[in-house]
Amino acid sequence: MTESEHHHDSSRDGSSDATPGGAAGKRRPGELVFTIILVIFSAVLLWNAYGIAGFEALSSPGAIPMGTAAVMLISAAMVLNQTLRKPRAEDETMLQDIVPPLVIVLALFLVAYGVLLEPLGFLPTSLLFLLASIKILSKRSWGFTITVSVGSLLGIYLVFRIVFTVLMPTGIIPEAEILQAIRNLFAGGA
Amino acid sequence: MKRFIIGAVSALAVSATAAFAADYPSKEIQGIIQWGAGGSTDTVMRAVTPHAEDVLGGTVVMQNMTGGVGAIALNKVAGMKADGYTLLMGAENPLIYKIMGLGKKDYSDFVPVDILARGTAILVANNNAPFDDYAGMLQYIKDHPGELRIGSTGPGGLPSVVTAMMEAVEGDLDVISVPYDGDGPALTALQGGAIDVMPAVLGASIEAIKAGNMKPLAVMDTEKNEFLPDVPAITSFNEGYNTYLPWGPFFGVFVKKGTPDDVVAKLSAAYKEAANQDDFKTLMHNRGFTLMNISGQEAEDFLTKWQQGTSWLLQDAGLTKSSPEEFGIKRPGE
Amino acid sequence: MEHVLALFTVFAHPQLLLLVGLGTFAGVYVGAIPGLSVTMAVSILISFTFSWDVLPAISLMIGIYMGGVYGGSRTAILLNIPGAPSAIATALDGYPMAQRGEAGEAIGVTTVMSFFGGFIGILVLALLAPFVADFALTFQPRDYMLLAVLGILLVGSLSSGSLVKGIFSGALGIGIGAVGMDPLTFTERFTFDIPLLQQGISFIAVMIGMFGVSEALMQLHHVEKAAVRQKISRIVPSFGTIKKHLPLSIQTSSLGVLIGALPGTGGDIAALMAYDHAKRVTKNPSRKFGDGAIEGLVAPETANNAAVGGAFIPMMTLGIPGDAVTAIMIGALFIHGLNPGPMLMVEQPNMFWFIVGALIMANFFMLIFGLTGIKLFTKIVEMPRSVLIPLILLLSIVGAYAVNNSITDVYWMLGFGIFGYFMRHYGYPLGPVILGVILSRLLDDNWRRAIISEREDLGRFFYGIVTSPLSLVLLVAVILIFVSQTPLWTMFRKKDTQPK
Repeated sequence: MTESEHHHDSSRDGSSDATPGGAAGKRRPGELVFTIILVIFSAVLLWNAYGIAGFEALSSPGAIPMGTAAVMLISAAMVLNQTLRKPRAEDETMLQDIVPPLVIVLALFLVAYGVLLEPLGFLPTSLLFLLASIKILSKRSWGFTITVSVGSLLGIYLVFRIVFTVLMPTGIIPEAEILQAIRNLFAGGA
Repeated sequence: MKRFIIGAVSALAVSATAAFAADYPSKEIQGIIQWGAGGSTDTVMRAVTPHAEDVLGGTVVMQNMTGGVGAIALNKVAGMKADGYTLLMGAENPLIYKIMGLGKKDYSDFVPVDILARGTAILVANNNAPFDDYAGMLQYIKDHPGELRIGSTGPGGLPSVVTAMMEAVEGDLDVISVPYDGDGPALTALQGGAIDVMPAVLGASIEAIKAGNMKPLAVMDTEKNEFLPDVPAITSFNEGYNTYLPWGPFFGVFVKKGTPDDVVAKLSAAYKEAANQDDFKTLMHNRGFTLMNISGQEAEDFLTKWQQGTSWLLQDAGLTKSSPEEFGIKRPGE
Repeated sequence: MEHVLALFTVFAHPQLLLLVGLGTFAGVYVGAIPGLSVTMAVSILISFTFSWDVLPAISLMIGIYMGGVYGGSRTAILLNIPGAPSAIATALDGYPMAQRGEAGEAIGVTTVMSFFGGFIGILVLALLAPFVADFALTFQPRDYMLLAVLGILLVGSLSSGSLVKGIFSGALGIGIGAVGMDPLTFTERFTFDIPLLQQGISFIAVMIGMFGVSEALMQLHHVEKAAVRQKISRIVPSFGTIKKHLPLSIQTSSLGVLIGALPGTGGDIAALMAYDHAKRVTKNPSRKFGDGAIEGLVAPETANNAAVGGAFIPMMTLGIPGDAVTAIMIGALFIHGLNPGPMLMVEQPNMFWFIVGALIMANFFMLIFGLTGIKLFTKIVEMPRSVLIPLILLLSIVGAYAVNNSITDVYWMLGFGIFGYFMRHYGYPLGPVILGVILSRLLDDNWRRAIISEREDLGRFFYGIVTSPLSLVLLVAVILIFVSQTPLWTMFRKKDTQPK
């Protein structure tokens, strides 16, 4: 593993939201592309905001969006200007410091979760997600992984679905029928 | 292949529990409330549904789904199976979605389970407004064109319909229309003097009127209201309003069209009995709503009449995005 | 004045006392879990307590409310995920403290200060309610707009790195808040004709994504690193600490009550403004703000709990909700056969004093539940990251879904999580984004109302501001804060101090 040899400067990740990351005076891998995307994005928004109502009236629904998008474009352009002047951070690479493999894998899991949630339903999708991610991250035994996954999923289900009646997508499991059956059981017993 | 298996499994699950009215409800029912927690629709639905649950012998899980003037909730229910396990708990707004360009569906895609109650509109003014009745307000608008600030809740909202009615009867009124996102915030602004006049639901303003925090100008109805016997009906100022009144917002429970008739009948019976409970009647009375509790053909006719009247009123006021004609909504009386 | 005796109703009935306690306990957990909100809990309780008497129902709701507002700080401190929007400012200094192993101390200070803020809020409610309500009513659209501008200037104090990046973040937030169908005119904004965008982007989804998911992904950089061991010896702050922060906490509590009493603004804005205020007036914070300053906890936590009492002020005196939770409580009172409105205080003063009594009790319960069980809570931070990260991610997903039962919100949450992850890497502060989303509607709607009321005439608009004492005060505050943030002023001050 080359990863262990590489020294990752974690101060650049930022410690909290009040102290965001970033390398002072250096340009991190991908930073330039990110800034350019922001500039383009702001320009598109400004154009879209102009399209809402043009310069029709001070009170038009497009007034504040247009002002906001203009501020975004100006500030993003200023950031781009600063970024271009900064030297590259030679000690960092994209795959080691910005998006290490683990982040990519977990991000892909999240995308898969989003895709499967509706057709498969909340319970199976979440279980798969927990099993896969805990197994990969902890590298512990399957027994541990399954116990922790099932246990915490049940807890979340109990709080959100039963107590707070949040109706997550049911997908392939006929949850409503099962719950009604359980209710009937209690009602019959009482 | 995967999709086929998923499809097959879910098909199995469905067919195993297909809705037969005899054992309806065999699972919990979802009730989607079109408006946010704490609003009028929310309060009405959460008050009536527990009684309906008792009659049905099932559970109705209620959720608020807001956005798009209620269109998000309506489309969600329209996208579910027509098995009576998803109820739409809504207000009058969907009937003007089509002409306002807010959506392609309205209550014609649904069957009314029960139209519970309707409200009456009232014109109220800030205490410091330099007039005390409807006639005085009209005189003020004439003498001070472009100065009176009337609250509104966006195109298609109750205030916009009332204002359209006023313009249809009295001719163009040169006023400033200040938009708010609901009659609650607008009535607050009225008391603080940010707006001068507000067309509101009686129930939302009645307590403040009784306390003398705002003054009533006229009830938007053909006769005086039992809750405020001292306030004149608008028709006493101008007979022309008789064409459009009575008019008012309403609340109802709906299911998707295509739901088995016996399921609809069972639901209707449950809600009818629920709305007949004394505490629900008291609640409606206290909030100034008129209990309707109608279903079946009677409810359908009510909806059609409401839609025709309001759509053409808005169309004539030039507030619509497309003409009611395009959707086959006839002019009233045609 | 015999109605005041109703204050003691709750103490005299063990059943009511128990319900307040139960509510507060549940509230702390509801508040702590992102996505579960007090608003949700209270609206579910309406059906649940339908057949109850009104007093027990209200007792339970008040407990949940008080506990919930406080509970949001738990996850903010321990996981950097605010359980509720009003705890965003708490994360700024609370999380760095937990990272130093001082989670116990942070929770202790937070609890005591929440109690203090809650107490001030109740005191103002009990003694000055009609007066504050009348004052709150005098706020015109232009005043709300100025208040929003004042809020937006907080970007300066929320971005410790590059100010330009902070301004970008703030503007982005305001833009996100504008997405969807404009509620005032039904015009589509920033929707690009995509149906998914029409209903707008839930701000809770943005918050959970930006804080929760981006934080979880960030932690993947050091999965193997052992969790920070927490010292839990010092939980209850010493009397000296409390005394030291007394002036600040009285100021921020007062701010909280007022912002809470204004219909249209609530604890979230109050907490952020209080944080900014603390940063301005504190000469020597215990640590740099953002590194774990106690003052950074004191200010938002006193303010958001004081806002609870504040929110009841317009509700009890005028029947106007001060926030979403009091709006539902008004509905509950209706269902139970009462007529909340301006006449309630006249016709049923007992109800008012009963609610004051229940709030006092809930505040005490909050203190008790807040200071016990901290050990268990801090264990969360000591959990292995390999389990904690997947759980945070799953909770974020469920939480985002629960806000409006919408899968779209889940997609937005994930999208903003990944976007926020890159923003953090490249030094963009995330706080201003959330600030922008919170303030977007307040700014946009009230600007339009104000300028429409003046018939699009900027001259009349400014004339209106300078002739109203309230607007003028707000305008002066905006100008002062703005000037104090500009480079010129900082240079001037440096020059001023150098020769000495």
